[in-house]
Amino acid sequence: MEKAEFIQICRDNVTTANHELSAKILPAARKYMLHQNKGKLPVIWLETNDSGDNNIAFMNTTYPYLQQVFADMINLLYSNTFMAAQGKDALDLLFSSAKKYKGNFILVVEGAIPTKDNGIYNVVAQTKKRAITALEAVTTLGEMAGYVIALGTCASFGGASSAAPNLTGSVGVNKVLTREIINVSGCPVNPDWFVGTLAHLLMYGKPELDALGRPTLFYGNTIHRHCQRRSYFDKKDFAEKLGDIECMFSLGCIGPKTSADCPYRQWTNHVSWPVKVNTPCIGCTNQDFPDGSTPFFVPLPQKDKSTQTGAEKSGSAAKGDSNESKKNPI
Amino acid sequence: MSPKKILFSPVTRLSGLLSVELSMEDNVIHEADVSCTMFRGYEYIMREHHVTDAVYLTQRICGICSTAHGAVASYLLDALYDNEIQEMAQYLRNIMLAADFLQNHIRHFYFFGLPDYVVMPNYPPFLEQNCNDCRLNNEDNHRIASHYIEAVQISEKCHQLLTLFGGKVPHQHSFVHGGVAVAPTVDKINQALTLIRDIRKFIGRCLMPDTELIAHCYEDYFAIGETPRRFLSFGLFRFGSKNEQLLWKDGVLSAHYSKPRLDLLQEDITYAWYERSQSMTNSEVHPAPYKPEAYSWTKAVLYNGRHYEGGPLARMTFNGFYSGGTSTMDRIVARSLETELIAKLIEKWLTKIEPGEPPLDQKKVLVMNQAIAVTDAMRGPLLHSAQVRDEKVEYYDIITPTVWNFSPKDANDRRGPVESALVGTSIPSPELKYIIPGRIIRSFDPCISCATH
Repeated sequence: MEKAEFIQICRDNVTTANHELSAKILPAARKYMLHQNKGKLPVIWLETNDSGDNNIAFMNTTYPYLQQVFADMINLLYSNTFMAAQGKDALDLLFSSAKKYKGNFILVVEGAIPTKDNGIYNVVAQTKKRAITALEAVTTLGEMAGYVIALGTCASFGGASSAAPNLTGSVGVNKVLTREIINVSGCPVNPDWFVGTLAHLLMYGKPELDALGRPTLFYGNTIHRHCQRRSYFDKKDFAEKLGDIECMFSLGCIGPKTSADCPYRQWTNHVSWPVKVNTPCIGCTNQDFPDGSTPFFVPLPQKDKSTQTGAEKSGSAAKGDSNESKKNPI
Repeated sequence: MSPKKILFSPVTRLSGLLSVELSMEDNVIHEADVSCTMFRGYEYIMREHHVTDAVYLTQRICGICSTAHGAVASYLLDALYDNEIQEMAQYLRNIMLAADFLQNHIRHFYFFGLPDYVVMPNYPPFLEQNCNDCRLNNEDNHRIASHYIEAVQISEKCHQLLTLFGGKVPHQHSFVHGGVAVAPTVDKINQALTLIRDIRKFIGRCLMPDTELIAHCYEDYFAIGETPRRFLSFGLFRFGSKNEQLLWKDGVLSAHYSKPRLDLLQEDITYAWYERSQSMTNSEVHPAPYKPEAYSWTKAVLYNGRHYEGGPLARMTFNGFYSGGTSTMDRIVARSLETELIAKLIEKWLTKIEPGEPPLDQKKVLVMNQAIAVTDAMRGPLLHSAQVRDEKVEYYDIITPTVWNFSPKDANDRRGPVESALVGTSIPSPELKYIIPGRIIRSFDPCISCATH
């Protein structure tokens, strides 16, 4: 909307008592705000039970780089990793931000939530009176947030932090909150998946999610469908050892049942991904990672720890193909 | 009146979750309990796994030093399978490990350390910064703060270099037992050379002068946060077909220098949330979150009955690159110096690579059922130890650098390096109650995800 048009609308409606002015101006204002990126997303980031790999992966974002994300996309109000404040000053900032931006802030949870013994296995901070467990922090802040993002496979589904025997009773965020969670899985997450999800929330609102609560934009296809080595698979030309150039299905590749866009997107400024360095995809975005992925180098149909010990060769390449067609009818 | 206790929680700008409780007497830290407040149980997770799962699975212990876990697990499997490592694989492995060191050290200095000394811009994530003891003049401050932004791009380049050969990072894929799965091709070598030259320029132009300036303006920190002079390193950058040679030597230093003996290591759970099994046949430990005297998920680790400090300062000292004290600023200076040396090594190693097939030869038959492998990681000594039956893990032990540095008290109530560095420190005013301990603690570059695993 041009300035002259704006002024004319204001003049035309100056004496009307109804909401015509707002109705005409607001959509244009909203469009302008979005276009100008006026409102950054308020973000509260809690690290819980994980390795911190997702915040490191986030630091690897390119276009936008990390400082551009801070400057143009998010107000990172609380983050154990990045914030300058420390001790009680940091904790005060957490409480005041949650209150100030109640209903609007985005809660990013990085890590699984231990539930055994009331969650005592993960304490995000101590106060003079008591320990604040991850379970309590995520439950409380999760109710107050506008959106909740579970960042990485631990936060999305429990991941490595909940691998057997799971002594801490760790679970994904969706097991401790009843509201909808946006799962951005991966071990770690590809920074594009996370920053892309933030961008969607900023510019277009909630992205479309798959059955596991993940943005279909990034998780809509399997690795297998777009793998550069798909022609080898179709010709049943399988690698015999790591380092070979053929299909890695014989060496445990979980591409057929793994939803992610690594073959296109690749990692760290988009330079490589596991199959490109002649190793299998280990399915790190999956709900059953890592327990469903191990033994890592045993073919998919035989990944059952109770019966397999050695790296046996696949006898049934067709299994992967059938998984693929079920998930992705081509 | 001065407070009797200072509860410092959360200690931010590090990997993982840390709280510290300080008891004060006449404004001096009298007792310091460092409490690592997260537990996952990786040693239990590893059991029953096929032993070759170790490289990819143990990398998930840590986000900022994953390649170090992948490296030591590979050395462990090399021993179990008696692999022969080709010369090109030796270079590529060290290039990948070294690139993760650069990433770690640069991010530690700028993202975690800088807000301790430099006034950051007043927007998130730098809100409520306590600037009561920021000493740089405006011009210097502005210049160094702008290097934070340059460090964002350069540290990404460190990981980009690693990804060229490793496929992804954190948790790279091609550094595995038997060698390296990636083919060193001329395009990758050339891209990596371009990246390392950019990284070296940044180190020379920013990191080194910035370190010097901070060391100069905060000279008193050469006498704050000192530890007993007991250093331990498992050495760094393994070469040789059996990983038997170390470029940077290992060592133990107390009164005298000696070679480390792994049979002298001992884990102590007196003040950690674990208890030993009551069974006579089984002495393994279990989590015990309600153990009253305990205060951390990190066990104490002792060498010949005493606590030892690890990290760049220990490595630089053993290899004759640095001679100085054991203070907060000595640790910071040694880390920057190490960054410069490692970047130079990467460029040298890249020029030695000859393009060719993936240098990988994985043997299929185990020749041993147990092994111990060690290396230094970014923060100090790292050990993986495994016992295997029918190729499955029966027992896996992991002792990480931050276990050494953030050890709680041992059975004799003796404190580990960080607690020792804190005790005796003066906190002259309440405004500095987090600033001074925060600087001391961060100079060890803590990784609590590793320490508790």
